Amino acid sequence: MSETSTADLKLELEVLLRRAEVAVPEDRMDAVLSGYGDLKRMCALLRQPRTAAAEPSNTFSLVTLMKGV
Amino acid sequence: MTATGTTKPLHELSIAEAGAALRAGEVTATALAQDALTRIAALDGALNSFITVTAERALADAAAADAAFKAGIDAGPMQGVPYALKDIYDTAGIRTTCHSKLLVDNVPAADSVVAAKLKAGGGVLLGKLSTHEFALGGPSFDLPFPPARNPWNPEHIPGGSSSGSGAAVAAGFCRMAMGSDTGGSIRGPAAYCGTVGLKPTYGLVSRRGVFPLSYTLDHCGPLSWTVEDTAITMEVITGHDPLDPASADVPAPDFRSGLGGDVSGLRIALPRHFFAQAEGVSPEVVAAIDNAAALLAKAGAIVEEVTIPDYELFNAVGRVIMFSEAFAIHEKDYRERPLDFGRLTFTRMILGATTSAADLTQAYRLRRELAVAVNHQLLKQYDAILCASALAPAARFDSMSGAFPPNWPIQTMPFNVTGNPALSMPAGFSASGLPLSVQIVGRPFDEPTVLRIGAQIETALALTGLRPATAALKQAA
Repeated sequence: MSETSTADLKLELEVLLRRAEVAVPEDRMDAVLSGYGDLKRMCALLRQPRTAAAEPSNTFSLVTLMKGV
Repeated sequence: MTATGTTKPLHELSIAEAGAALRAGEVTATALAQDALTRIAALDGALNSFITVTAERALADAAAADAAFKAGIDAGPMQGVPYALKDIYDTAGIRTTCHSKLLVDNVPAADSVVAAKLKAGGGVLLGKLSTHEFALGGPSFDLPFPPARNPWNPEHIPGGSSSGSGAAVAAGFCRMAMGSDTGGSIRGPAAYCGTVGLKPTYGLVSRRGVFPLSYTLDHCGPLSWTVEDTAITMEVITGHDPLDPASADVPAPDFRSGLGGDVSGLRIALPRHFFAQAEGVSPEVVAAIDNAAALLAKAGAIVEEVTIPDYELFNAVGRVIMFSEAFAIHEKDYRERPLDFGRLTFTRMILGATTSAADLTQAYRLRRELAVAVNHQLLKQYDAILCASALAPAARFDSMSGAFPPNWPIQTMPFNVTGNPALSMPAGFSASGLPLSVQIVGRPFDEPTVLRIGAQIETALALTGLRPATAALKQAA
């Protein structure tokens, strides 16, 4: 993740929340902003080189996918 | 009160022991239910483990069980045995609140599948148990009901989100309580409260009628006082459910098959780097896991140190999926009545409004890689993994920040990501008198091996006779 200032991070968060049509009370904003910073770090960890085999359709085994059929 | 032929108080009888006493006519289901209700009335004021006590239902269930025994009808090992449900399990005609203002008057019309199976098996429902709001936000003091407390020391948290389940079993209110586990919500309370807690293989126990937190990470499972009681419960609640989209159509394992057997020859992987080098780990926890590993080796298991992918990868995958799926479930309420969520739920779950489709897809892709690393690379060579559940004993309530969601040191999320069966069980006590734990992880649908290893550790450590002191609880209640 590139370095982002707190002000920029807050602006980015506010845009995303507005897009989601969710309002955050002022007294909860610091906690949400802190969590958003953590989540951005986690999202960065997800982006790594990987093979074609790594795709969501086969996360679970066929046994599970064939449930109830 | 004790059962005829035993010196144990009724509340200390395991499911197996209570079942034997019921079938021998040494105790009645009504006596077991009355004893549990009396104990709850006397002590739960200090613990808040129950949101709703279903006394009338319990006594009716118990009378029905007694009548069935008298008529020679035996519906299985839970017949006549009191239990309780986390308050996210639907119960027909009984309020199911998810510990939230949003559902405070919610009375389902039908039972969840697990509740129905326990009812059909003759179980005696004592009530509905505290949770973190919607199995996520807690411990909180801004909800319609107070948070559950740890019976070993009520100043400490019981873990969550199956907080009431852990507290109720540890306090001896019931021998078994159902919990749910999306990132550790069975195993965390089990670890902090000193009980056994099993997150079964994804798809083994139906989730239908249980309020979802995250569809692809949610698991239903029991907390109990002994490994055998966990195995007995699994016999009753397991089964394919064609109406649960995640339910696996596989034969039910023989959960009790390995309980009396030894572990000699089993190959057990010990990813010591995973927990011993983790941030926030307690040296007491590391010592407890090392001790459990040594006991297994002494019993003939082959314990070898291994390396597994970095915990942070599992955690990132699990959190991104959990927040995204959870927000999708609650999106409408976030827009229409956001202030009805407690503060901690609100500030955690809203993060799912910020993840992108690409974030979620990357999480699912990495999930596949991690599942392959655990199952194809590690569990092809080993029968099980021994690792940490909670990395430290239960924290004090007053160490929690009111402003920010808690971030407890716990390593349970990896096996929600991979779907493997995972058992948290007692492994000793800290110098401060709080429970320590270990986690045993097995191959998919190989719960019997996990329980077999757990039973060996349980026998070797001989901790099941140690219960929380109740004198202080009586005073506080």
